[in-house]
Amino acid sequence: MATVALLGNPNTGKTTLFNELTDKYAYVGNWTGVTVEKKMGTLRHTKIAVVDLPGVYSLNPITKDESVAIEYLLHGDPDLILNVTNASQLKRNLLLTIELLEFGTPVIIALNMIDDLNRTNVTYDLPTLAQRLHCQLKATNARNKKGVAQLRDGLVASLTELPPATALHITYPTLVEQGITQAAKKLVADHGMTPDFARWLTIQFMNQNQTIRAYAQAHDLTPLLQSAPFYDAQNFENQIFTTRLTFIEDTLTAARRQNTPTSQSELTNKIDRWVTNPILGLPIFVVIFYLMFKLSFDWIGTPLSDGLNALLSGPVSHGANSLLTSLGALPFLKSLIVDGVIAGVGGVLTFMPQIFVLFACISILEDSGYMARAALVTDRLMQMIGLNGKSFIPLIIGFGCNVTGIMATRTIEQPKERLITTLISPFMSCSARLPIYSLFVAAFFARNQALVVLSIYFLGIAVALIMAKIYQIAFKVKGNSNFMIELPQYHLPRPDIILQGTWDKGKGFVKKAGTIIFAGTVLIWLLSNLSFHGPVTDIDQSLAADLGRWLLPVFAPLGVGSWEIVSALLTGIMAKEVISSSMIVLFHFTGRTALVATFANLFTPLSAYALLVFILLYIPCFSTLATIKAETGSTKWTIYSAVSSFVIAYGLAFLIYQVGSLFI
Amino acid sequence: MQLLSDNAYRSQFTVRTMDQIDELTTRQLHNLGIQTGSLINVVRFYPFHGPVVIQVDQQRIALRYRIYQQLVGGH
Repeated sequence: MATVALLGNPNTGKTTLFNELTDKYAYVGNWTGVTVEKKMGTLRHTKIAVVDLPGVYSLNPITKDESVAIEYLLHGDPDLILNVTNASQLKRNLLLTIELLEFGTPVIIALNMIDDLNRTNVTYDLPTLAQRLHCQLKATNARNKKGVAQLRDGLVASLTELPPATALHITYPTLVEQGITQAAKKLVADHGMTPDFARWLTIQFMNQNQTIRAYAQAHDLTPLLQSAPFYDAQNFENQIFTTRLTFIEDTLTAARRQNTPTSQSELTNKIDRWVTNPILGLPIFVVIFYLMFKLSFDWIGTPLSDGLNALLSGPVSHGANSLLTSLGALPFLKSLIVDGVIAGVGGVLTFMPQIFVLFACISILEDSGYMARAALVTDRLMQMIGLNGKSFIPLIIGFGCNVTGIMATRTIEQPKERLITTLISPFMSCSARLPIYSLFVAAFFARNQALVVLSIYFLGIAVALIMAKIYQIAFKVKGNSNFMIELPQYHLPRPDIILQGTWDKGKGFVKKAGTIIFAGTVLIWLLSNLSFHGPVTDIDQSLAADLGRWLLPVFAPLGVGSWEIVSALLTGIMAKEVISSSMIVLFHFTGRTALVATFANLFTPLSAYALLVFILLYIPCFSTLATIKAETGSTKWTIYSAVSSFVIAYGLAFLIYQVGSLFI
Repeated sequence: MQLLSDNAYRSQFTVRTMDQIDELTTRQLHNLGIQTGSLINVVRFYPFHGPVVIQVDQQRIALRYRIYQQLVGGH
């Protein structure tokens, strides 16, 4: 089966083009780094495979994401390369194009976003470009499907009748050329490479491409390894860059034509005058995110959630109950399904509308191009803790749900900064922790409810920032991280892209409800209904009670005096929402009013506050831990996150309770 | 601290040298089409030496103030 590889700079509309060309849809975002791994699809109406690779500026990778492209060229063996370029940014886009043309695999260039170019007073003559670059070019505008059909036909035609592979030969300065010829000749003779591949490999090696240097080490390519010090001393990298740039400028000058602009659109600049205003930028950012949370948690999300909750706890729960009774199910099994699975998994699923609305808002912000601006206006704040603007978005999103926050760290290029942001994300007080706060403030801080809750939120932020600073020192992150971001043109968000983006982000949550949350709920139910001797009806004799009593001495220094609280905290590791409902179950109460009254005997305001601080910071919920594992790909960091947050939570709660006790 | 450093403000300048800039940053700048000889329009400064928005070949780019200073450096 023939394979086409899509390669291009970030912000060239590559993923949109991929979606238009193929049957299968992949996630799109107008924000650097959305494509984190290669995605596969098939060209519409054909069996041709299309691989979408992460956007790269050159084949020389700066981040781990970017190394996917060069690894694919080395090992993937595509039949054809589709190089997607941003037509109005050709000068720098062609730098990558040259590297691809030198590789020798046939290349077709898509001049994408051609509409943006047509709005300027410059245009390019395609035949001239094709003749200079020795490859086919097609003008496209993927967002409104212009030229996509022609491009698809061009791809099919090229694959049925593959053009002879002719690698582009640019003449580099004499010394460089001599080096290339010498090394390539030996590589062909000693290592059986084709002349084109040997030349390309040598140039990439000279260009300080670390992936290629590692490849040379692994394959023992002595002709290259021996000469490395010479190449570097002579600064071949810079000479190659300059030669390529001159070649591009000559090519573009030859192809440049005057153009009468179709419509002088200054829309992006007009919006940016407000949105990225040095003074107003930050307040506008706050307003946009405030609206986003309002939509998710007040205006749309919560009413839908309440409806879903009413449906699940009412008709669904009762229906299942009577169905199981009529089927004559064992009381034990009936209780497991109704009180365990439906109440537990259902309880978590009721958060679905809020989460999906939040994701839809984030998709709109991404597709419109705003995210790059949000990173810009928050960069100065983040610089103080050794992170950059790109870290701010995941943290804000973490207030909704830590899982989505951590997933949003994918847009951070530097691996260390991404790891730090992932590790501090769980300290952002997610919406699942609110129920337990409101329970306690109602009991102990009736007069200052909002203030106390706010102080918990800010404590979470403070801990996150302090930890970021500590990690910055511990990981030896350079004092000044390189914040550099393109500000792409704004686009009117396309509804189908938003829908797809929302689903792509949210489907993981639905899947988790069916797996990890389901498993956790069953486990908790079993623990509170079983003892070592079999099923129990009295929860005081259950395993949950044993476990709670056993761990009680650990929590006593925090001012916790009853095993029910300890058991409820344990259930909170499954999902933070569960803490308050567990307490209701474990204390044998039917509702929260009775629980609030009981608290008065169990806690003082001081121990209550210490407990809230503990709940804010202790072990992230299962979903969050699973996400940390998935995103870092490391069990070590997942365990570290669980242990470190427990230690921090314990330490801080201990300090608050013990020091506070001295004064009160 | 000044809110906006007027003395460093230039609406337009040409990059004379990139020698002061480290290798990785140079590569990032090259990737975005900025090299010695590039004509750079300064669009906007952020307070407290925050990021600077520049424009090169119709493309707007935000970068750290320190890198901006190094780019201006040749003057």
